Formats: sequence, structure tokens, C-alpha cells
Amino acid sequence: MGYVDVTGIRHTLPDGRVLLDDVNFRVGDGVRAALVGENGAGKTTLLRLIAGDLTAEAGSVARVGGLGVMRQFIGSVRDDTTVQRFLVDLSPPAVREAWEAVEATELALMETDEEPAQMAYAAALAHWGDAGGYDAEVTWDTVAVAALGVPYERCKYRELSTLSGGEQKRLALEALLRGPDEVLLLDEPDNYLDVPGKRWLEERLLETRKTVLFVSHDRELLARVADRVVTVEGGTAWVHGGDFAGYHDARTARHDRLAELRRRWDEEHQRLIDLVRTLQQQAANSPDMASRYSAMQTRLAKFEAAGPPPDRPPEQKVAMRLRGGRTGVRAVMAEQLELTGLMQPFDAEIWYGDRVGVLGANGAGKSHFLRLLAGQDVAHTGECRLGARVVPGFFAQTHAHAAWQDRTPVDLLWHGEPGRPGVDRGRAMAALRRYGLAEQGDQPFRTLSGGQQARFQILLLELSGATLLLLDEPTDNLDVLSAEALEEALAAFDGTVLAVTHDRWFARSFERFLVFGADGRVYESAEPVFEETRVQRAR
Amino acid sequence: MPLAALATVNDQSVRSAVIRLADEFPDLGPRSIVLVVRTCREELRGSPDGALPELVERLARQRLRVSLP
Repeated sequence: MGYVDVTGIRHTLPDGRVLLDDVNFRVGDGVRAALVGENGAGKTTLLRLIAGDLTAEAGSVARVGGLGVMRQFIGSVRDDTTVQRFLVDLSPPAVREAWEAVEATELALMETDEEPAQMAYAAALAHWGDAGGYDAEVTWDTVAVAALGVPYERCKYRELSTLSGGEQKRLALEALLRGPDEVLLLDEPDNYLDVPGKRWLEERLLETRKTVLFVSHDRELLARVADRVVTVEGGTAWVHGGDFAGYHDARTARHDRLAELRRRWDEEHQRLIDLVRTLQQQAANSPDMASRYSAMQTRLAKFEAAGPPPDRPPEQKVAMRLRGGRTGVRAVMAEQLELTGLMQPFDAEIWYGDRVGVLGANGAGKSHFLRLLAGQDVAHTGECRLGARVVPGFFAQTHAHAAWQDRTPVDLLWHGEPGRPGVDRGRAMAALRRYGLAEQGDQPFRTLSGGQQARFQILLLELSGATLLLLDEPTDNLDVLSAEALEEALAAFDGTVLAVTHDRWFARSFERFLVFGADGRVYESAEPVFEETRVQRAR
Repeated sequence: MPLAALATVNDQSVRSAVIRLADEFPDLGPRSIVLVVRTCREELRGSPDGALPELVERLARQRLRVSLP
């Protein structure tokens, strides 16, 4: 039995802004609740408050059943953390403490063989057994075999940075799902997982009897797994008691209700103000009206002190205007194209207006193919040509812009680049506003969230006048609303689109699919193919 | 992992420690080595079974070393 009860949480940012206020919800026993909201709305902060990493300014969090937490950074660990340390950190506090004691006494024993050091080590080992440490080691062995295919003893000193993002995620998920904690907080558990990995995650979350609160932007995962949706928006949170299928309607209805309540409050407020003014004039002429004037003043003061109902949360305004333009009928032609050492030669013809999803497992060469079309230097044989008036615009994965890290969006827009003229500050800010980035205009690129970086890249595509969009995992960091805005913009785009994606929901909006197979073949499919596993190469 | 039972004649943690320590400390009589090892075994009785032989031997070795002139 496990649950989380959040009551009246308030959290203020260091700059004084209130990020969350009056947050109340409960995730009951066995519930799989999704936590959704715009990039930067406070989802991760809320998870950290629940996990106890942060202390709320007001309110309380009740946790029952032991809490297991998978943090957002898992998947991108690049320090010297070992598999052993990682698994210890995911364990219940009693096991962690016992392990720390064994470690400390072992180190002491290396320094001295004195009797107290030996007795302390023996006591630490006894405590390790009492705390369930030996049972935990048995579980870790199962976890290591399931996630990495090797026993715990063979991988415990391996550095986590040598594992792929997907392996890191899988290791953490196996440990938490098989561990003793009854409540799991999972911050973007699906990031770095390819489609078979995401399907595995869905099955495991559907099977588990644990209570799960997870953050995800993957609409397919949300639709399959969530039986509640907790939304962080407008500085607070609310709960949709159904699944994701009915979420949009519920959200719209809630917004309409809030707007109506606010409109009624404003009307009543104005009526009371008018009454006070009228009575003030009457009281000036007639002393008999003075008491009524005073009473009305008191009533207005009480009404204002109670305050208005919460306002309708501002709609995220992301208006992408990808225009494009007419090109030759053949937009892309590939003849016996072979990406050296990656794939077998293949032919492809992509026509003006096509929407082509490029699918396949990680490491299959999909991103290389897009980079080649974008005009970058990619080793290949065979031929690859773009049609008349085809201007490629490339959206790279967000971490691929080392030169932008210390520059601001306004600066990048001002200077322009070949094929994209610079714009003055006024036009730059207007464009950033349309992408919901006005407040980030003067922040260094590296301080923007993944979703903000992704939106900025789409803005650059808009300004570049591209007629062939080459998108490499464009929805990976976008929140649900931004991903939908991108889909709408692509639907209205006059040109050709090729997108590499593992987002099944997004992929379904495409008409043709180029699949990079596990056997090294590239083939076309009319339906999305997500079953391709990692390419096996003897390299 | 089960916790160690009280020392008996067949206790592996005692027997293996006695044999090895007798080789290491030939100047000490076997009776004193057995006594030290059994005392250590008794004092470490709450330790995990698997770790006991090493813990007992190590502690006994330290005590025997200190007892040498």
C-alpha cells in the first residue's frame, strides 16, 4: 500500500516569484498518475518537493509506502558514478545508510587493523544484513541481468557514463520496479528509450501494482498508461480523474469554468464599486444615506479582501508559421546511396509536399542521412540530389549546438547566418513572442530548457525560408502543447518534410515512412514501423 | 543471509582460522590459539554467516599479534 498526499504546497523561486501555490492532490494506492504541464511550469520542482529534496514554504506532503525516485538527469550521467553507487542511491534510505557505513568501515580497515576498526566493520556488516542489504544485492543482480545482460558482480564497478542513455534509464527503472518502494516518482522515464524500450516501459507500468507519478511528454505513453492526469499550470495543479483520452476536453471545460467564475466576480466587483460611488454622492447630499454608504464600503472591502477566484491560466501562445514555397516536383533523389559503414545502398524518391517519417533504432544512420541532405559532410557513396528550388532547413537534436551555448536568442536572430538574414531587436522579440520565448530573449542559449531550445530552432527554420524541413527528433523535448503546435505548423507548411522520430504519436501524422532496418537495409513502408531493434554491426 | 549460530566444534569459521593461525604463529601453543579464536567467534556472533570466517580470523590474528612479546 502506498500513496502520496499533497496539501496546500507553496513554493517561491529565489527571485521572489511564486512558482506553485495552493497545490492539493492525492495519488492513491495503485494509481498511475501522469504529471503534465508546459516546459518550465514547475513539474520537476513539484516532484522534488514530494521527494523531499526541497522544502515547501507552506503546506505538507504525506508519503506512505516507501518512495523511489528516478530523477530527470538519469540517461545523461557523465560523471564517474559506478553501477553499484547508482543502485545504492536508488535504494531505500535504510539500505543506503547501511551501505555508507560498510564503505566507511572498510576504508578505515585499510588504514588500520586495530580491534575497534574490526569490530566496527563487523557491526556494519551485521547492520547491512539487518537492513536488507543482502536481499538488495540479490535484486541488483536480477536488475543488472535484465537491464545490461550481465551479472551484478561483473558490472558493479563499471562507470555509468559508459552506458547509453537508454541503458541508464532501463537500469533505474528495473531497480525501482523490482525494489521494495511502493510509491515511484519518475521524471521523464521514457527519454532516451527507443520505441521497443518505450513499449517495454508501458507494459511494466501497466503490470506494476505500485503507485506511480510520472512526468512525460510522450502522448502515446500518456494515453496507454495514465489513469489520472495531474496538470501543473497557472501556478497551481489540478487533477483530471480520467485517462488521457478525455484530458483535452476536461482541460478546456475547466478553463471555460474558471473564465466564467472570473467574469462573474469581475461583474459583481464592478457593481459594488458603482454602488459605493452612487451612495457616496447621495451621502454628500443626505446625511441619512451616510450609514448605507459606510455599510456598502465595508461590503466592498470584504469582497476585495476575499479576492478573485483563480484566473484562467494563460494559454501557451506558440504560433509557428512555417511557410516554405513551391519547389520542383522531385524534392530529394537518392540513387544507390550508401552511408559508409552504416547502411546498405538504397534508392529513394521524395516528392514535393511529401511528409516522410524516418524510423529505425538508434545508431542506424538516420541522423547521418538528414545531415547529408542538409549539406553537411557525411561519408557516402552513390548519389543524393535535391530538386529545383529546394532549400534545406535542419533541426538538430538540442545538444548539437556548441557554438550557440553562450549566445542569446536575440543575438542569434540579430546576426543571422548564410541563408537567413539578421533581424532587428523589435522583429526578433516579436518572433520570439510568437514562440513563447519573449522572456528568454536575452538569456544564454544554454540556460533555456530543452523545450525552449527546440522551439527556438523551429523559429530559425521559419526565418530561413526553408522549403525542405529536415527534423531530427523535434518533439523529444517539447511539451504536449508545443508538439501539437508543431504538428499544426507542419500541416500548413508548403514544402517537403523529413523527420527522424521515436515519437509514435507524431509519426502517425506522416504519410510515408523510410525505415532504417536492423539488418542494414533501408526500405519504404506505408505504415510506421517501430519494431526495428538496434543494428548489429561487427565494428 | 542467516546470522551466525553459536560456536561449535564443527564451526568452519573457527576451524579454518585455527589451522591457518597455528601456521602463522608457531611459537604460540595450539590451546591458546583455539582459545583466542573461540573468544573472537563468540564476540562476533551477530555477524553475517558468510563474512564470519574472515572476520574471526582477522580479529584473532590481530589479538595474537598484540600478545606476542
